[in-house]
Amino acid sequence: MSDELDRIRREMHSVLQPEGVRPDDSLKITRRTFIHGSLVFGAATVGQAFAWWPLLNTLDIAHAAETPFKFAWISDTHLYPRSLNTRFVDKVVRAAQEVQAMDPPADFLIFGGDLAQLGKIEELELGVDLLKEIKIPKHYIPGEHDWYLDMGKKWGELFGQPNWTFDHKGVRFIGLDTVSRGPDYWTAKNMTPEERMGHMATLDGTVAGPWAGVGRDQLDWMEKTLADWDKQRPVVIFSHNPLYEYYPPWNFWVRDWREVHEVLKPYAKVTNIHGHVHQVLYNEIGTLRSIGMLATSWPWPYAPEGLPKLTKPMIRVDPGDPYDGVGWSKLDVAANDQLETEYIMWGRKEVFVQSPEDHDKHVSEVIRPRIADNMWPYR
Amino acid sequence: MITHSKIRCSLRRFPLIGGIAIAAVCAGPTSAHKDPVKPEQLKIYQEVFMEEVRKGDLLFHGDQKMAEQLGVADDLSKTGMACAMCHPMASDTHPQSFPKFQAQIAKFATLRDMINWCIEKPNQGVKIDPESEAMKALEAYITWSNTGSVLQPGKF
Ligand SMILES: [Fe+2]
Ligand SMILES: [Fe+2]
Repeated sequence: MSDELDRIRREMHSVLQPEGVRPDDSLKITRRTFIHGSLVFGAATVGQAFAWWPLLNTLDIAHAAETPFKFAWISDTHLYPRSLNTRFVDKVVRAAQEVQAMDPPADFLIFGGDLAQLGKIEELELGVDLLKEIKIPKHYIPGEHDWYLDMGKKWGELFGQPNWTFDHKGVRFIGLDTVSRGPDYWTAKNMTPEERMGHMATLDGTVAGPWAGVGRDQLDWMEKTLADWDKQRPVVIFSHNPLYEYYPPWNFWVRDWREVHEVLKPYAKVTNIHGHVHQVLYNEIGTLRSIGMLATSWPWPYAPEGLPKLTKPMIRVDPGDPYDGVGWSKLDVAANDQLETEYIMWGRKEVFVQSPEDHDKHVSEVIRPRIADNMWPYR
Repeated sequence: MITHSKIRCSLRRFPLIGGIAIAAVCAGPTSAHKDPVKPEQLKIYQEVFMEEVRKGDLLFHGDQKMAEQLGVADDLSKTGMACAMCHPMASDTHPQSFPKFQAQIAKFATLRDMINWCIEKPNQGVKIDPESEAMKALEAYITWSNTGSVLQPGKF
């Protein structure tokens, strides 16, 4: 797997990242990040410890907003019925209250998918109920946990079309559905809807296969949607999965990322904001930059390989604190044309690693895919 | 011969150390009733191990039937959370770093101690018997999944 990943990566870089090609120069990345509203600078010692000392998450976008505005992101709430798990409920309540309390208020909320844990009507409706606290306009994209019990039926009734676009103060926003086009792994094996959902809901499952994708039809739709848009003007794309290949065994990618980049290549200032990974991520490919968001439910560890070199990792969390390593995000499109991402991580003043020991990959590990889901009961 | 009997003498003083393997090597000419290991035997040993891995894999991923079979259905989790939700492919379990001082427990701990801590805290379940089959199966899966990781006992 490692060799194959390596080959794909080299190909990705030779095709999409020829020498000198980066997101437009006006998309300047600074070391600034806003954490709980306070400005933090990286310590030199950490810079030395991590040779690829990153960039944080402040983006400057030229020709961006006509007037400054903010928007907010919540995703990966993974709600169970309230009777089973109140911790996840409490965290959504907190995120919703904090978004609603933003001053000045956000113009809109993006909900980035995985509202429910097992796609149940009860779970999805609970999510809708909890997010009613937020009065600004809300836009939803689906996650795989929302979809595979009834193949998006309830989600569609609640939220409508899973992909959409709108323009807001000089920025074109696009929401993508990266979850509904999974290969049919259930019919031949006569799975019940619950079994189908169960395999999909297991991040390291081996049965559902490479389910994350945009699909030719949606790629064509995106191309059409962007056709009338000035190539120098900013585009922000929301997706559940990252639009590059990070770690396919956990579906930290979309399988047709090459085609996605073909469509986006002509546009100089594209930012993708995605959920699903439950962790801080940053990457640039060609003219596209990608930012991974926190979950409210629980954090995933970084994958054993493939973490983008440009990512400054989030701090290793304390599993005993349900509020550590999780939260939501505030995105600020400023008058000076910057798009600033602020991670609101509840358990921490410092969101990012401060020393090598703060990184969850500080203990080196070699891990392998599971076996039992392929042995039983579908031998 | 003298060398052999000396070794046998010293072994007698530590009858438990080394177990079968040392006994087989040292018994040598004086009691030549042992056969070299056969492929069929190796296959059986491996099957026993992989069956534990399979059970552990299912427990680790929240499989209710396996939890019932091993008598821990009411213990492992009361929140819907399963081990694999924070540890896909058993990553970040770091079995190679145990035993160690475990910050969350504030004591010198084994992997089994940590498994029970995760059951009690994030999963809000009930500790299981450290000698139970369920615990051994979880340990088998976690260590198997980390095959190839280098031992780093004591590492934070
Ligand atoms: Fe998620
Ligand atoms: Fe997801």
